[in-house]
Amino acid sequence: MATAAPRTELRPSPSAGSRGDPRRRDRNWVLALVVLLVAEVLYFSVTVSGFFGNGTGLLALTEQFLDIGAIALGLSVVILAGEIDLSAGTMSSFAGIVMAVLWRDGMEIWLAVVVALLLSAAVGAVNGLITTFFKVDSLLVTLAMQFILGSVATALGGASPPYGFPSSFVTIAGTGTVGPIPNQLIVFAVLAIVVSLLVGRTRVGRSLALIGYNRPAARYSGIRVNRTIVGAFVVSGLMAGIGGILVSGLYNAARNDIGDSLLLPGITVVVLGGVDIFGGKGRISGVIVATFVLGFLTEGLLVAGDSSLSATMVTGILLLVALAFKIGLDRRGGVDVVAVVRRRLRRIPVAGEPS
Amino acid sequence: MSQAHRRTVQDSRPRTPSVEADSGGEPSPGTPASGSTRYVVSHVSKAFNGAAVLHDVSAVFEPGQVHSLVGENGAGKSTLFKIMGGVYHPDAGELALGGERLSDLTPRSAMQKGVYLVPQEPTLMGHLSAAENLYVGTLPRRRLGFVVDWSRIHREAASYFERVGLDVDVETPARELSIAQQQLLECARALVHNCRVIMFDESTSPLTSHETEILFDLMRALRDEGLALGFISHRLDEVFEVSDHVTVLRDGRMVASAGRDEITRDELVTAMIGRPIGVRTRVRRTSDVTDRREVLRVDGLSSHSVFEDVSFSLTKHEVAGLAGLVGSGRTEIAETIFGLRRADAGEVFLEGEKLEHRTPRRCIDAGLIYLPEDRGRNGIFPDVDLTRNVTAGVIPGLPLRWGLISAAREEEEARESVARTSVRASSLGASINTLSGGNQQRAMFSRWLLAEPRVAIFDEPTRGVDIGAKDDIYDIISDLATSGLACLLISSDLEELALTCDRVLVIYEGRIVGEVRDEEVTTARLGELVVGGARP
Repeated sequence: MATAAPRTELRPSPSAGSRGDPRRRDRNWVLALVVLLVAEVLYFSVTVSGFFGNGTGLLALTEQFLDIGAIALGLSVVILAGEIDLSAGTMSSFAGIVMAVLWRDGMEIWLAVVVALLLSAAVGAVNGLITTFFKVDSLLVTLAMQFILGSVATALGGASPPYGFPSSFVTIAGTGTVGPIPNQLIVFAVLAIVVSLLVGRTRVGRSLALIGYNRPAARYSGIRVNRTIVGAFVVSGLMAGIGGILVSGLYNAARNDIGDSLLLPGITVVVLGGVDIFGGKGRISGVIVATFVLGFLTEGLLVAGDSSLSATMVTGILLLVALAFKIGLDRRGGVDVVAVVRRRLRRIPVAGEPS
Repeated sequence: MSQAHRRTVQDSRPRTPSVEADSGGEPSPGTPASGSTRYVVSHVSKAFNGAAVLHDVSAVFEPGQVHSLVGENGAGKSTLFKIMGGVYHPDAGELALGGERLSDLTPRSAMQKGVYLVPQEPTLMGHLSAAENLYVGTLPRRRLGFVVDWSRIHREAASYFERVGLDVDVETPARELSIAQQQLLECARALVHNCRVIMFDESTSPLTSHETEILFDLMRALRDEGLALGFISHRLDEVFEVSDHVTVLRDGRMVASAGRDEITRDELVTAMIGRPIGVRTRVRRTSDVTDRREVLRVDGLSSHSVFEDVSFSLTKHEVAGLAGLVGSGRTEIAETIFGLRRADAGEVFLEGEKLEHRTPRRCIDAGLIYLPEDRGRNGIFPDVDLTRNVTAGVIPGLPLRWGLISAAREEEEARESVARTSVRASSLGASINTLSGGNQQRAMFSRWLLAEPRVAIFDEPTRGVDIGAKDDIYDIISDLATSGLACLLISSDLEELALTCDRVLVIYEGRIVGEVRDEEVTTARLGELVVGGARP
């Protein structure tokens, strides 16, 4: 019955460093993004007149892309779990149109917002339920849902979707400011903090990430996989709905044609933010920073007078370069460079050794 | 004993020149060996993720000889064969075939040079015919080189099949062949490519004794033709039956190498396990405790065409074994109890209370845990730090502060739990991938200790861990049983069951066919029962 002598557990090893510390690696990527963001803002502020605008201009620019940020927050939750939600873009159109149509037909505007968001969440739940209980790939489920939502939005909105919402709504959800800070930025900040804590610091968020890392192991560990995934789709639907409301507020009109222009930038932000497209790895803080990196890049180029076409191209280039850089960083993080060099050096004499 | 000792390499002297004083002295790559194809392995070392698997191993595979590697699981036997077959590259040392140095070997170039590795699991293309499998990648063409010459393939294949004693139509799809036939096909494939060195990595473990004899006849015939054969088996009887030369590996080092007639079975075993047999005593037999309350009862559990009418119970403080061949339904029974699979009939009771609508979560919360067999697939979260790996089973109970997980207190829980199983890691933040197999498994035990189970099912808990860790895991299980846990230990390793269990249930083709307890728990008795030789 003799127990093995207690061993020294967790002895510090000199080669440890950042090697093999996944959390540190993710944090490093967020830091890299912050550096990129600062450099980018400095560059545009110096070279493009009207970009910085005493700071107020800079803050006002954020209104142009925070809808994408909201969608990206929701998408990142789904992507962390190893799924995808292609319906997020048209979900925004759908939510905006539903709200607008209900308001036009006499509903109080804020009640209409709540109903639209509940519907978005419900559609998200449908995505999740079909994915988990019928075991259909979420890529297919949400691709189909994208078409359904897009056509429903077009049909509901008709030839000229409603516009001219009450000023209370436009001020709060759209173009209003608190001092120099746009209301939308405040809304986004709240969402960002909530999603960040949800993913990083709650039990559900923990389950979500572990499902993304290894789904069978999650099952064997007693994590309620299906439930958690349905929840992720609900969050994604809800966030996309909020994105749609923000767009409606900004333009003071419901749009049924914005789906595609939100989805792909949204996915771009998630990936740029360091979330592994296959699930598991990544932090919401990265997605938040990436929202601004990509947003300011696009807006900076537009303010400078470039066409939106070239802005899109630069976006693509940034994504490729960033990902190549990130993969390099990850490799470096997983490999003990010193050990590799040492082994190389040792091998040479062995190879030349006459035996 | 003394004889084996003479040929034993001392562990503490890694660069001892050579061991096979009787097989040609120091291997000398560069000079052609006596006109034939001896395969010389000199001073080969290999590490995976910093864990040494082979350390300075040398061996000579002579033409006209069957050279067996023996050693415990994880001793490095398969790794050595894989290095010889070009699957892995050695970190140090070299390989030479017939005097020619082999560098940057790949499986393909190894085959071209005449070295063929029959892997543990045959890797044939199931949808191709038996004949096509012989020629994969090298289909002979008609003169112009465009058209595959099928008639020639079938004619030649038939002659090779005859040579290896494979009695099937050459056009049979490979997936319809039995494992034994697939292995003969692999041999034929080696002959097609004119291989002079063929290595069999545990080829006999899935075979019946009759099939094994057929394979041995072929091996002897090939040996007599002058081929050099390598062989790995866990069954010492087989090793003595077929080998001309035996090399013993322990913990990646070569500890003995001798002709078959120069070493006795006892010496071999002593060399393998590093201590004289008999010293390794049962970790635990019957415990003195009187509290023998029934904790788990499984009643008539059935799952169509997998297992049927499985009933048993576990009491506090006991370690019960579940023995059976791979495919007998052991793992499926455990997974059904744990709620990972649906049962068609039957019930599970935990301390008298029926577990309804079992899911892993409900089972864990009720105090029943399951350590899965396939740690890589179903256990660890790769690229995730040790803390989150350890607390993954108790997420609903993670300590909160203002509704959010308290990182400090979570880490404290993880730290205490890994200390209980002596996990060795650089830090709690280290990725679990950086841990050795044994430490990963200890971390899995830590995960489940946090759940404070009353019943634990351990499925192959020592698979893929090194020998030192194995003993520690036995100690952990034994300590858990002492503290009151009811354990069910599933294992293919009969010796492990005999060492660890108070009683063993034997499962054969989905049914419990026998139960042995206390002094009756011997490897011989278990071996008889697992193959269906139940004599009540």
